[in-house]
Parts: sequence; C-alpha cells; structure tokens
Amino acid sequence: MGRDKTLSSGTAPPDTLHTAGSSQDVLAWPWAATGEELKQRVQDVKVLAVGAGGIGCELLKTLVMSGFKHIEVVDLDTIETSNLNRQFLFRKRHVGKSKALVAAEAVKQMRPDIDITAYQGNVNESRFDVDFFRRFDCVLNGLDNLEARRHINRLCLAAEVPLVESGTAGYLGQVSVHIKGRTECFECQPKPTSKTFPVCTLRNTPDKPIHCVVWAKEMLFPLLFGAPEASDLHEAPPAGSGIDAAAVTRNIADDPSCYQRAEGESSTHFAERMFRHLYCTKINELRNMEDLWRSRRPPQALDLDALRMPAYGDGGDQPAAIEAGVPATASSACKELGLSDAHSVWNDQQNAAVFLRAVALFLDGRSHELGSAQFDKDDLLAVELVTAAANLRATCFGISRQSLFETKGMAGNIIHAIATTNAIVSGLIVVEAMKLLARSFASCQTSFLQVSGSKRLVSRMSAPEPSAACMVCSTAQARLVLNANKMSLQQLVDKVLKGRLALIAPSLWCGTFSYEEGEGLEEDEITRNRKLLLLPLAQLPGGGVVHNSILHVDDQEQCFKAQLIITHREDWDDEQHPEGFYLGGDLPPALTEPSVEAAISETASPNEDVVSLTSDDDGVAAEAAARPVAKRKAIEGNTDSSKRPRT
Amino acid sequence: MSGGMAAARLAEERKAWRKDHPFGYVAKPEVEADGSTNIVKWHCKLPGKAGTLWEGGMFPLTLEFSHDYPTKPPRVKFPAGFYHPNVFPQGDVCLSILNPQKGWRPSITVKQILVGVQGLLDEPNIEDPANECYRDFKRNRPQYDKTVKLQTKRYAAD
Repeated sequence: MGRDKTLSSGTAPPDTLHTAGSSQDVLAWPWAATGEELKQRVQDVKVLAVGAGGIGCELLKTLVMSGFKHIEVVDLDTIETSNLNRQFLFRKRHVGKSKALVAAEAVKQMRPDIDITAYQGNVNESRFDVDFFRRFDCVLNGLDNLEARRHINRLCLAAEVPLVESGTAGYLGQVSVHIKGRTECFECQPKPTSKTFPVCTLRNTPDKPIHCVVWAKEMLFPLLFGAPEASDLHEAPPAGSGIDAAAVTRNIADDPSCYQRAEGESSTHFAERMFRHLYCTKINELRNMEDLWRSRRPPQALDLDALRMPAYGDGGDQPAAIEAGVPATASSACKELGLSDAHSVWNDQQNAAVFLRAVALFLDGRSHELGSAQFDKDDLLAVELVTAAANLRATCFGISRQSLFETKGMAGNIIHAIATTNAIVSGLIVVEAMKLLARSFASCQTSFLQVSGSKRLVSRMSAPEPSAACMVCSTAQARLVLNANKMSLQQLVDKVLKGRLALIAPSLWCGTFSYEEGEGLEEDEITRNRKLLLLPLAQLPGGGVVHNSILHVDDQEQCFKAQLIITHREDWDDEQHPEGFYLGGDLPPALTEPSVEAAISETASPNEDVVSLTSDDDGVAAEAAARPVAKRKAIEGNTDSSKRPRT
Repeated sequence: MSGGMAAARLAEERKAWRKDHPFGYVAKPEVEADGSTNIVKWHCKLPGKAGTLWEGGMFPLTLEFSHDYPTKPPRVKFPAGFYHPNVFPQGDVCLSILNPQKGWRPSITVKQILVGVQGLLDEPNIEDPANECYRDFKRNRPQYDKTVKLQTKRYAAD
C-alpha cells in the first residue's frame, strides 16, 4: 500500500462535480480525496494519535503511508510479549520499552521524512491540556478503555478539535467522527458498560457460570489472599461499630477470623477447612433460607470426603507430590495433578483437588503476597484456584462448569484481539480524518465492522447530530482569562458570575472543588462555602481553579448552565483590565466588549482562538433569548455598567 | 479533566435535591478534610417511617456512584452489620430498583432511591433475604422487633 494509491486512485472527477453544490467548506467526498488541495493538506496538518497499541500500530503505519507528515503519539504502556502477535511495529527486543517511542521509531524508518513526536505518558496528565490539544488539526483515538476515551472527548470539545474515535472487540469494530456542534460527541449516547452483577445474585442466587467466576475472583480470592476488607464476603463489622451484640452475632454468623489461617494450622488443613466452610457450611446456610428457593433450585452442599483424591486417581497418574509433607514450591496445581489441558472441563473430584492444592501452594509458596495479593489473569495459580472454586460453586448451584481457558477469559474480561480488525478500523479512521481535512463534514460517517454469518462487513451511517440532552457537549462553553493567583473566589462570583452573567445563586464545580449559594443549604455548608470565598482561585481545594481548568457553572435560581475554560495569565495587568478578567466565547455577542477583545491579543493569546470561539452558536443565543425579560435586563444592565470607565 | 456524564448528572441531582426533598431526609456529597467535595459519594440519613419499629431513627446510608452512573446504579450501603433482612453483612442493600439486571433505570433519582430504601426498612422483601436475620423476622418476631427497636434507638435522631 502506498499513499499514491490512497490519495489518487479512481478517475479524476469532472469539474462540474467539483463545484456543483459545494460551498467553500464542503467538497463532495470522495472527489475531494483526489484533489491536489487535500494532498497538500494531508502533508501540512498535524495529527495526534492517542494510543500505540493494537489499533495504534496499524493507524501510525496507515497514516505515514497515506502521506501524513506531522504526527504526535501518546501512549502510557510498555511493550509486552503478548502484544507481538498483532502489534507489528514491535519486535521481541522491544519488550519492556515504551510503545509510543518504539512505534514512532518504526514508522520513521518506513518514511524518514516525517516529523513524529512520541510521548510516553497518560493522557490524563496535566501536560496534555486544552492548549496541547488545540495544536492539532484532528485527534485520532486508538484507545482501550472508556475512561480515557471520555477524557479525550471532553478535551477535544474544549479545544474544538475534531476527533475520530475507534474501538475493536474481536471481529467487531467501530469508527466515529466527533465535531463539536456538528456531530454527536462520544458521550451523547450512553455506552454499554462492562457487566456488573448485584451482590445478591453473586452471594446468594448465582445462575450463570459468570456469577461463580466473579464470586471466586472478586470475593473469594481477596478474602483468602488479598485485603479481606475489600471483599464483599468479608463479614467482620468494622471495629467500634456499636450495634448490640445480639444483633451482631445473629446477623454475622461467622467468626470473622474464620478465613484466616489459625496459629500452627497446616496449609493443607486450612485448604480443607475452607472447602468445608465454603461448599458445605455456607451452602447449607443459604439452603436454610427457604424463601430464596421457592422458585429456584436450592443449592446442594459438597461432601469433601466423597470427593477425595482416591476417587480421582483412576487415571493412575496422581503424582506423589500431592501427599502431605512435600514442600510446595511448584507454581501450578494443575501441573502437579497432571491436568495439563486448559480446554478440558474438570470433574468435581478434579476441581476439589485443584482447589485444595492451589490454596496450599499459595499459602506455602507465596506467603509474602498474603494480605495484598490481587487477582491477575496471567497468574496461573490464581486462575487455577478461581477456576476450581467457581466450578465447585457451580456444581452446588447446578450450573455448568467451565474449562480453565474459558474461566480465564471470563475472569480477565478477555476478548481475543484480531489483527485484521485493527487494520480495517485504522484504515477507516484515516478515511474519516481525510474527510475532515477536506472539510467534507457532511460526508463524515460512523462505521461498524460486523460479522454476519460467515461474512464480515462494514456498515456505515451518516454521523449523527449532537444530542440536545447530552450533559457533556450541549453545555455552552466560554473562555475566561484571569490571574488565578490573584482573583479570589469572591471576586469571581461577584464580578464574573453575578456581575457579567447575571446569575442569582451560582453553583460552581471543578473537579473536587464545589461552591454553592442559595436555598437548601445547611448551616455547616454555608459556613464552608463562605470560607472558600476568601481564597484565590488557584488555592481552592481539589487542586485549585487554574490554567486549563474547566469550571462548571449552574444557577440554583435560574435555568443557566455553562462551562468556563480558564486561561491563567500571570502578567494580567489590573490597570489595563480594570475588571480583572476577560470573558470570551459562545455567549451572546452583546456581552463581548471589543476593547477587551483587543486587549487579549496583546497578552500573547492567539486571537484566532477567540474568534473561532465566538463564531456562532445559535443554541446559546436562543437560550439567552428565552430567559425571562427581567433577567435579560439584568444582563444588559451589567454589560452597560461594565462599559463605564472605572475610576 | 474531571466531569463527564456522572458528575454532570450528580450536579443536577444535587440541584434538584436542594430545591425539594422529602421532609427529614439528608443527602449530600462527602466533604473531605481539605474542603474539597467528593461528588461521587453521598452521605445520607433516612428517617424511619412513623408508626413503625423504625420511627425515631435517622439511619445513615451512603451512595457510591461510579463513572458509569447513571447507566449503572450507585452502590447503596448501610453501616456494616446493619440489622435488616435485605442488608448484607457489609451493609449493601439488596433492592430491585438498585439491581442493574432488574429494576434499575438511569432515570431513577437519588430521591427515589432514598424513598425506596426507607420503604424497605419496614417492608423487607422476604423473597430475597440477604442474611440470617430474616429467620427472626419469620419465626421469632418478638426477637426481630426487639433487635430492630434497639437498633432504632442507637440511630435515634438527636
């Protein structure tokens, strides 16, 4: 593949098509792709690739081979052996090195004339702020988690940089385009979240294999080896909880120390005691809550003695190591027991044997981890224990058992990555990026890579419009320039929020800082809020309201909502800007003062920013128009007064 | 950058709660020692219903919201060891409207959750017991009543 193919395949369009129906900003796609203008633009623009993993490797390759020359890439991760099968820019010698740096070097070798900058870092870091994002013509996501995607979405909205978002899961893939004000943002639609299960189902009434796996991984494992307080099975009341003793003993049936190894207790004995406790005592306790089982099958307790090894050894290969007294140094219970096929489903005896052995091995061989161990899908012994423990529970509840391989996948939320899916998706990302660069916004599409029967196909739809109800992108944004070290919260509230924006009872929040006025507050809250007023913005709790902070503003008494993106200017001059601030953005034009706008250009702020921010937003104008007349007057009145020279 | 769907929704919930909430209830985001606010963890107090064993108590409840709120319900907890047939030993409340597979809908408000939990206090769901104290409820009501009353006393409103 080469850029010539991507950029100039197909016949040249007739001139009429070039001009017909296309105003300056909309060039019909795909004809735009063949124009010289786009070819030049692709070489001139600067793009940010977020993520240099499965999608990222493919994306960087496709970008440079399509002619992109100015690329920056961010990734926090280092290369692991398990990445090498699909993240083809990496070789074995790179294991342990930064994905971003190695990927950048690799594509630089493909096209030495490109200018690529790599950052090993988390996109949540403050260095990747709104100003950082403003430098790019578009942002291309190849991320693997929702939190980072949401974060990038918000930064791109704030920086007004278009975003091409992507994701793959096995054979499925998706690419979408997010342009502030034109298409929906990443958070306009709720995202399917990883499934969580209610505590009641997990503890009392599991009916699917996954319920048993989650129980074993998230409740049992931490209880036995990790921090027991973190487990929902942990039954000890916190110290000093003074409910009367009768209630405690009745409600908390267990001795809290029951899950701890007794002084001098052998690991084998502990394992057997746990087995009896979990699969006999606790199951019988549940069974006795007969109301639970009116419309469900009651669980059956397991008898450890009936599941003893003699029943299992029929294959004749029971290793001697299982005999008590043999030092446990092995890292796998399965290996000792000769259960080497990860795809076979163990019977009850085998599960019991693996459970007992794995618990003992953990206690004897990994005692240093006790109290802090965390489940890891790549920890074989942990997976063995979880598989056996989940299967035993499944047997109690009449649920089908799973192989070690299946359990590992479920416990680790593993969806096996497919290199081809990543490659197709990265191709689609670059196509959408080119549409953005051609300013062919109307042709931007959301693409889905699907599997239909034995076929894989790409289905596409026009990028949906923003959702008016979206709490992330439907809120008006404005830029507020001030000196965060000098301006106090009191001044912000009085001058900007009440004075300029005509708020009555402002509520503010920014990260973990919040400030509230108006009705419905208690005495202690009023006192706390008052104390905050004296502080300079930069010293407010939760890290302060500083450069690049996004301050959320609401009004308890009115329908008003806005986000103020803070620009801090240390050299902000009180004499030149007697108000102490500049407010620019998509607010009604009447609020913007030309004199101050001129002032902002003096303070080395790129003027285009302000212009593009103020460009247009019908939504906000409409909102302002819909405000009660009295409030409108207040706004105008304040604008007038602020125009008066101060002495 | 903070914020997003969960925080924005919680700001709305906070605004709505301040405007109007059921008499006697308390619900507010956690405030840390340094004066910062943790909007995803709310400390609440539920009054026991008049005319029930729970009358006179102000029962502490925490709501912990995840990033996936309101797609997912908050985790709702009484103090550990709370005596009620549908409260797990760690304090988690077992209630259908808080179950993502059953009754939870993103439109359910904080107010509805708290009113729902208050209702559960005196009307436990015996179909879905969370611990052994439901046996007292069924078979040894005097014992159950006595323990509930003791607990109510312990959480008595000032």
